[in-house]
Amino acid sequence: MNAPIQIARTTTSQVLGLRRLIGLGILTMVPGVTVFLSTARTSPTSRLDVFMGITVGFFFSVVVPVVALVLAASALGDERRDQTLSFIVLRPISRISLAAAKIIGATAASWVVVALGGLALGIAMGVRHGDWGYLIPLILGACIAATVYAAIFVPLGYLSERATLAGLAFAFIWEGAVVGAIGALASLSPWRIGFSAFAALVPSEALAFVPDFALGNVVPGAGGAAAKAVVALAVGVWLTAWILRSRDLV
Amino acid sequence: MTIEPGSAHDPAIVPDATVEVGAVSKWFGQKVAVSGVTCSFGPGVTGLLGPNGAGKTTLLRMLVGLVLPSEGSVTVLGSVPRDDPEMYRNLALVPEESAVYGHMTARRLVRYAAELSGLSAPGAAADAAIAAVELSDAADRTIDGFSKGMRQRAKVAAALVSEPQVLVLDEPLNGTDPVQRLRLIALFRGLGAEGRTVIVSSHVLQEVERMTDRIIAMVDGKLAAAGDIAAIRSAMADIPYRVLVETDAPRKLASALITSDAVTGVEFDARGFHVETTDLRSLGRAVPAVARDLGIRLLAFRPEDDSLESVFRYLVHRR
Repeated sequence: MNAPIQIARTTTSQVLGLRRLIGLGILTMVPGVTVFLSTARTSPTSRLDVFMGITVGFFFSVVVPVVALVLAASALGDERRDQTLSFIVLRPISRISLAAAKIIGATAASWVVVALGGLALGIAMGVRHGDWGYLIPLILGACIAATVYAAIFVPLGYLSERATLAGLAFAFIWEGAVVGAIGALASLSPWRIGFSAFAALVPSEALAFVPDFALGNVVPGAGGAAAKAVVALAVGVWLTAWILRSRDLV
Repeated sequence: MTIEPGSAHDPAIVPDATVEVGAVSKWFGQKVAVSGVTCSFGPGVTGLLGPNGAGKTTLLRMLVGLVLPSEGSVTVLGSVPRDDPEMYRNLALVPEESAVYGHMTARRLVRYAAELSGLSAPGAAADAAIAAVELSDAADRTIDGFSKGMRQRAKVAAALVSEPQVLVLDEPLNGTDPVQRLRLIALFRGLGAEGRTVIVSSHVLQEVERMTDRIIAMVDGKLAAAGDIAAIRSAMADIPYRVLVETDAPRKLASALITSDAVTGVEFDARGFHVETTDLRSLGRAVPAVARDLGIRLLAFRPEDDSLESVFRYLVHRR
């Protein structure tokens, strides 16, 4: 197995430490459990209303960003804090490969956790509503959003010891308050990019319950969302490689 | 004779250099960690000696490319490591800090190092490196449970696994017990004898003396001395020392001592008197003899500044 794949694999297992996995795993299950418990004896309309409210207001806008930023910020941040960075940077591996390996490792870890959340939410909706068509869009949308967050927070985690705090400010102040108020900025909100993929694939009956602030001016589309995630990945890899080349690595 | 730093006559420069450091400085904000150091390292073991805070770790980090020089240049085997990651096939560092993944077993750690170095048979290379540092019995235990000495050996094994041409070790004997220390010293000497460039930093002169004859000494971020240990010891011979002498008759003893060639000055204070000398050994013989002849009770004879740090500081000023 070649070196970047080894680094990506090790990064995934490193950032998914047992305590972190349990904590984030519980958080990511909350939306699904909430939908399951709160829609037991409701009408299809109010069930969709509750589901979409929790999907937008908690799963995409809170759970996915928190999971992704905690895991991504630790991919390089933990190496720096634990002083293990020299172990990987003093190897015959190009900085681009190294950066890509770290971001892919962090992205994979984020996918595992947010996909669990999407799975729980999709199963809750399938059991209660009898429609399993929400499952794949939830997982896909969450994974796309997590990819964009990882591309941003892996380099940020290296640059700042307070990356998680900065990430929370980004998620709640920038994405929550600013982008929520100015729909034209929605393309700059990672969870909205993921949500746009979800909205494009979800059964059409649910679209009537999507609040305006969830999409802003972003047009629902899975291909477009995936393309934005790929661009974000490329920029994140380039930025991380540049940091690894141009800064002291201790 | 005045020796121009960096010239062919400079003892800090070796003719067959594999690692070249040219007028390197590094500062972090207002703090100067390394200042204008020019030296080179060649095959064999070279000790990088200096007290804590001398700038050794920063210099070593610049050598391997972890830290960028603020000024000057570093080349290893003709390349700048930062610009040429392929260089790390032939360059390895054993850092002073922990720098290991505690959740891994020693075998997994060393194998991971082998895989990252692109070795074709990482398992076999890992086993050989673990055997070289005599860690085979504990190789399948997680590093979190290791003593500091065992961690050090695991780090050394991870560095050795790619059989680098240039091996940089930052305080590798820290935390090791005397038996482990002897074995590691023998290992480093063996690597040097094979023709590898082995750079070992330490703040303990006796440790370095057991590994090599050639040292580069640093203090306060500057090069203090370089060359073989015998030459440096000789350079240290004319350093003025201060010795505190405590006695029940300080002025009487001082009057008798001032006629000795070994004494260059005397100063009194409440505790006794301080003698300045360039010949500590002769003074050490003269003081008890004179005190005995005069019937004076000698309470203390204590060199005040014979630490390695003060010696190196003196050499920096003289250089």
